[in-house]
Amino acid sequence: MRTGVYLCQTGTGDLDAVNLHSVVSYAGNLPNVEMVKDLGTMPALNIETLAAEIRANDLQRVVIAGDSPGFFKPAFTTAMRNAGGDPSEVRLASFRQHGASFGIGTVRAKSVLACATFGVPYGLAAIPDTTATHPGTLVIGAGVAGIQASLEIADAGKQVFLVERTGTIGGHMAMFDKTFPTLDCAACILTPKMVAVGQHEMIDLMTYSEVEEVSGSPGDYTVKVRKKARRVDIRACVACHACMDACPQRAPSEFDSGIVERKAIYMPFPQAVPNVYLVDEQSCTYVQSDGAKCGVCAKKCPKGCIDLDQVDEIVELEVGNIILALGYDIYDARKIERYGYGVLPNVLTALEFERLTNASGPTSGKIVTKTKRFNKRTKTDEWVFDAEEGAAPASVAIIHCVGSRDANHNAYCSRVCCMYSLKFAHLVKEKLPDADCFEFYIDMRAFGKGYEEFADRIKAEGTFVVRGRTAKVTEQDGRMVIKGEDIVSDRMVDFPVDMVILAVGLVPARGAGELARLLGIQTDTDGWFSELDYNSDPTDTERGGIAVAGVCQGPKDIPDTVAQAAAVAAGALKSIAIGRGLDSRASVPLSEIEARAADLTRV
Amino acid sequence: MEDLKIGVFICNCGTNIAKVVDCDAIVDSVERLPYVTVARTYKYMCSDPGQDMIQADIEEHGLDRVVVAACSPRMHEPTFRKTLQKAGLNPYFLEMANIREQCSWVHDDPVAATEKAAALTAAAVLRVAHHEALERRSVDMCPNTLIMGGGIAGMSAALDLADAGNRVYLAERSDHLGGNVARADLTAPYLDSARDMLTERVTRVVEHPNIDVLLESQVRKVDGFVGNFQTTIRGKADDGAPTDSVYDVGSIIVCTGYKEFDASRITHYGYGKLPNVVTSFELEKMLRAGRVTTKEGRVPQYVAIIHCVGSRNLEFHAYCSRVCCMTALKYAHEVKSAVPGAYVSDIYIDMHAFGKGMEDFYRRSSEIKTLFLMYEKNDYPVIRKADATDDCDMLIEVNETLSGETIEMPADLVVLMVGMEAREDSEEVAHLVNISRDKDGWFIESHPKLDPVATTTDGVYIAGACQAPKDIPDSVAQARAAAARILARTARGKIEIDAVFAEVDEEKCSGCRMCNELCPYVAIEFDPEKRRSHVISALCKACGACVAACPSGAITARHFTDKQIFSEIEGVLA
Amino acid sequence: MAIRANPKLITELEIYGAQDVSKCYHCGNCSATCPFSKEPYIFPRRSMRSLQMGLEAKLESDLEPWLCYYCGECSVECPRDAEPGETMMSLRRWLTARYDFTGISRLFYLSWKAELLAVIIVALIAGAGFLLYGFSQGNITQYNGPDAFLPASSIHIFDWTLAAVLLALLLTNCARMWWFTVGRDTKVHVPLSAYVRKIYLLPTHFFTQMRYARCEQKRPWAIHLVLMLSYVTMLILIMFFLAPMWSGPAVKWSVHVFGLAATAGLLVTTIIFLRKRLKKSEVQYQHSHETDWMFLVLLIVVAATGLVQFTLHRLGLGTAANINYVIHMMAVVPMLLLEVPFSKWSHMAYRPLAMYFADLKAEEMVSKAREAVGAPQAA
Repeated sequence: MRTGVYLCQTGTGDLDAVNLHSVVSYAGNLPNVEMVKDLGTMPALNIETLAAEIRANDLQRVVIAGDSPGFFKPAFTTAMRNAGGDPSEVRLASFRQHGASFGIGTVRAKSVLACATFGVPYGLAAIPDTTATHPGTLVIGAGVAGIQASLEIADAGKQVFLVERTGTIGGHMAMFDKTFPTLDCAACILTPKMVAVGQHEMIDLMTYSEVEEVSGSPGDYTVKVRKKARRVDIRACVACHACMDACPQRAPSEFDSGIVERKAIYMPFPQAVPNVYLVDEQSCTYVQSDGAKCGVCAKKCPKGCIDLDQVDEIVELEVGNIILALGYDIYDARKIERYGYGVLPNVLTALEFERLTNASGPTSGKIVTKTKRFNKRTKTDEWVFDAEEGAAPASVAIIHCVGSRDANHNAYCSRVCCMYSLKFAHLVKEKLPDADCFEFYIDMRAFGKGYEEFADRIKAEGTFVVRGRTAKVTEQDGRMVIKGEDIVSDRMVDFPVDMVILAVGLVPARGAGELARLLGIQTDTDGWFSELDYNSDPTDTERGGIAVAGVCQGPKDIPDTVAQAAAVAAGALKSIAIGRGLDSRASVPLSEIEARAADLTRV
Repeated sequence: MEDLKIGVFICNCGTNIAKVVDCDAIVDSVERLPYVTVARTYKYMCSDPGQDMIQADIEEHGLDRVVVAACSPRMHEPTFRKTLQKAGLNPYFLEMANIREQCSWVHDDPVAATEKAAALTAAAVLRVAHHEALERRSVDMCPNTLIMGGGIAGMSAALDLADAGNRVYLAERSDHLGGNVARADLTAPYLDSARDMLTERVTRVVEHPNIDVLLESQVRKVDGFVGNFQTTIRGKADDGAPTDSVYDVGSIIVCTGYKEFDASRITHYGYGKLPNVVTSFELEKMLRAGRVTTKEGRVPQYVAIIHCVGSRNLEFHAYCSRVCCMTALKYAHEVKSAVPGAYVSDIYIDMHAFGKGMEDFYRRSSEIKTLFLMYEKNDYPVIRKADATDDCDMLIEVNETLSGETIEMPADLVVLMVGMEAREDSEEVAHLVNISRDKDGWFIESHPKLDPVATTTDGVYIAGACQAPKDIPDSVAQARAAAARILARTARGKIEIDAVFAEVDEEKCSGCRMCNELCPYVAIEFDPEKRRSHVISALCKACGACVAACPSGAITARHFTDKQIFSEIEGVLA
Repeated sequence: MAIRANPKLITELEIYGAQDVSKCYHCGNCSATCPFSKEPYIFPRRSMRSLQMGLEAKLESDLEPWLCYYCGECSVECPRDAEPGETMMSLRRWLTARYDFTGISRLFYLSWKAELLAVIIVALIAGAGFLLYGFSQGNITQYNGPDAFLPASSIHIFDWTLAAVLLALLLTNCARMWWFTVGRDTKVHVPLSAYVRKIYLLPTHFFTQMRYARCEQKRPWAIHLVLMLSYVTMLILIMFFLAPMWSGPAVKWSVHVFGLAATAGLLVTTIIFLRKRLKKSEVQYQHSHETDWMFLVLLIVVAATGLVQFTLHRLGLGTAANINYVIHMMAVVPMLLLEVPFSKWSHMAYRPLAMYFADLKAEEMVSKAREAVGAPQAA
């Protein structure tokens, strides 16, 4: 088949790793390739010129090669037809889709191009060989994704090592009050799964631990895990809280997203799994003073299960599959000064509000504004939540897209904020029926099953849904003044409210980048882990035996996260079932891909 | 009855229960009841410490019956049964009182709600006294799987199962694999080749030794139960004559996908009347053919794309079809590429660019000067023929919310982004495999959050757009999730069967066979020799229809004996 | 009544400088950040919207572009880099072209070559004219006195004629502006009494530019004000005090102090602006249209030659002074004849007018706006 190759770049993909010149010369030497033309970046294509070219070289097939060649396809398809050729013989060689934009670079670009000239899908010619797979699976991160993946695999009777950085499993979901759109309480649906993980005989749970080193090859990875010194004996502790009562040191509670303090020896939350205390070395006097001071908790522990001098321990694991379920962090709202977060007392982040409105939170679910309190230790005034003294807000404003959909911050949409903001509005209305509640949004992205109906319900409940994202929040005698444009009714919004909730977006979890380097997998420009194929392989990665699940692959809500988590389990389980799993894509040499593509065209 | 030791555990469920029901009051009231040895409350009984508390009490006080007053047993009965088991008690010595869904969530008068909760708890206490020790049994699990629907979801699930060495029967109604994806050329948001993706999938499926692809085949009948289904599939014999064949499978995945909304149902878009108003799928055809023109063969100068056709409105479907926004942006790019210099406008409600890479795609669509016009839900744009003097074929009148003006948008070609709809055969399918559908006809998952692939029927899973509108990656993920469930089960090789089922007392049975017809699960057999009916326990779902109907009172349902039910009633009335 | 959208307009506006308007996805950030955006004039978002949809008639009747001083805050905050500030700037250019009945303005904005050519031609004619006139009746060595090469009296007459022409052109365009924005507006009718009552607004805005001071940074306002006042001072000196300015060689402080101050003001400010535009330091100086450069260059030449003129005359170098004067006029004439009525300069007239009109219309509109139901405002 007389084939013409055109290189067209959209300039959006990162092609630093691809040497286009060598790709061009390579294309010239491929069988059937009559002409190669590099049209550069974002060419203004003239269909008639193209058609003329196709006719002149009487091409039967056209291959468009580039970072995202699909953006030019219709022009070529039309040209092909106008030239009297077969429109379906316009083929794509997408470097971005097949990972050429991540380091694998030129060789990958060439193999993708080769397949296209043969009219064979790259995914079909580049199937790696299988390698023997170790039956054990490592799951990194124990949020709802990690929990789900672990349970799916462990329930099949296969060994799972679940490594979690913090002192308990549960992740962000454990912090939530209710979940949209069904409004069932997060704890009610998550805790049983947490318990199941804690009790599962096939799950080796390692909390307060981090992956340090990964070596080996697909199907046979050796992983070094640092078990950070918890300083409390997991088996012995009965969570009697004698130690906590005795502890003199305080630090902001991570689980309550910092709106209250916890002790230096603490239990993240009452339903934590494992249900034992741990020592935060940053705030522990004993550790900070190298054993010179304090140590009262160890003395107070009736079972003597506190060992303040305990040191980190490194354990080595043999696994065949690694599942990444790192989850996310929230965008630091301080970076957007005009919203006054961290300066104005009653400007909260979404997570802070989740804890405030949560039954098991500091105010046992009572929504109040902060009260000024003199801190004797620091001798300063500070704003704190006080369930008794705190006044119920008469008006609450929820600002969408904080740090998302914004060239100055994160360009991407965080996918969950619209819905959780609507959920907040419902919670406010439910607990404070007389309060005014405002949603300031750009697009209301209620796309999931039952979401649109939920949005309608919130509007019916009397929440004012205003199109136009608030631009700034200022203070005026103790209240938060919000300024924005109410686009639909052509008014300026400029009035005080008692509480502002910032619908902060999601960002890749701390350390995700390093872990990616450690594992030899790619991340996209925003730092999310890259899947093997956007459409057909959303959970596997370029590296054999390594899969991604949940938000660490890109923002996602709970149902989608759970579905993905179960999906990666399928990948692991099938390789365990037959004892062999796929090797990395990069393991297939160019020559072999060319050969296979040639074969496939013959049949 | 020798004296029992009953423990009662009342859950606050954070404040879900405690905010209305006075849990401590329940403790006081139940403590007066016979056999009650301990009664306690706790914030989250289902949590680790909660369960530990129950276990500790069982051991310490030697409890032999346990009542948990908390949420619906649908949610946590399994959890607490496990707890009893761990403490060495028979799991069926548990009874739950639902004081959340049935009290705190539905009542706001604390006093009355507390009374009701106390009554329900008391009922549970009296009932549990009569509970009998029951044993669960397990049956072998057939490793084969039937997948209904050969779209992207069905094929993805099939490949995962087959790669793991399991046999898969992939039944597809039409004469080809690929489903709706086969109609698309490129995929949003990266404009990757849908065709290459599909070719790869189809080739792998067709060539896979463990997959039997059954084209032009329909599932006619599904008998049996989880792990052991007998499915009758009508296909075509070589001579083209319809033939039924029976396949034994352990699991079934339903991936029947969706059908597009019929645009002609919306009159004000003039679809079917105005020649140059086309659906998204019709434009797709034009693009594939490399011929984007009006019916008259002219190259369109103005192309308008209308979003949410049949979706997000009162008249047709309230739900969002999830994929149309991105597909619309895809067309904006494609049309600009196929017809350089064309003016493309997108008439939308909200731009649902939520997924990975989508917001960026949206930005790029506006950079190529796509004109976005926003309209209010239910305030449809109206299309009319333009005058001869106009430089366009049609005019679309939109109440444009971002400007507050009524805008007249010129158009030569109008593309309607038709939404997704449950297939007309979804009811038939639902009935066939005994799963339920929501008001829109989508199949219902067993839990929207934590179990998006299982259904109310054990062993039957759903994946892809038949559960709700979904794009390709989300469908694939769900399909693989379903595969994971099955792989986990086949790995274990056995299925546990609930110990709760009906039993026929052969002494009392008169052999009238009334029950045989009645049983909705065809779980009752008639033994001609003995002239007695008997229940196939594995099939019985303990619905109790036969128990109530039996004229000679020969049938009893385990765990639902008359004694248990009467004492429960006494408890409520006490 | 439905308004016809014109997707083509956005392309035309690109030439006027609106490159990024299509990127806007209407979050409302810009309007909320803008210190001038107040009901009933909410901008720049609405102007961006009208432009995206190509609502020509609406844009033509909008005063909003003139209410914007381009402090750039909107562009900095814009989440889509849609450059609202620059869009307003280009709309001002487009409006200037719309107001101008001769079509010259449009020509200048669409092609910098045309503008340059026009300036050169006028400059040459002016130069030739003055030389001919000078040689015909005077002595090149004489700067003033009886047989001066170019006597102040005749220059004075020339100035006034020029001013008359200029004013005629400008006033016609201003009248058109009034017609587009207020006159033909059927929704809002401004009573004559109001025009009289509020006339004071014109001089106030013209001389103080107080609105500009509302921007977060005050410096741009200060510089702009100095430039404007220096320019006006110079104009007044030339129109009314040409004779005393001319006298010499002794310095006549009563007038020259003003002259020197104004020249200094002009030179310093134009150089500052020139540097900013070259450095592209702040967002409002990142996109320069050819007309912006022409404006600054002419101004500098005029101011510089003016200063040289002053010095040469004081030094008693008659011939040099005369030649330099001709050069000076070769810049002044095109500046006054072309730039003031047809290009950037005209905003000196349009802006205060716009604010005056806006205020008048607002009185009528605000009441309407109040009745309009919007999102309920919290008490």
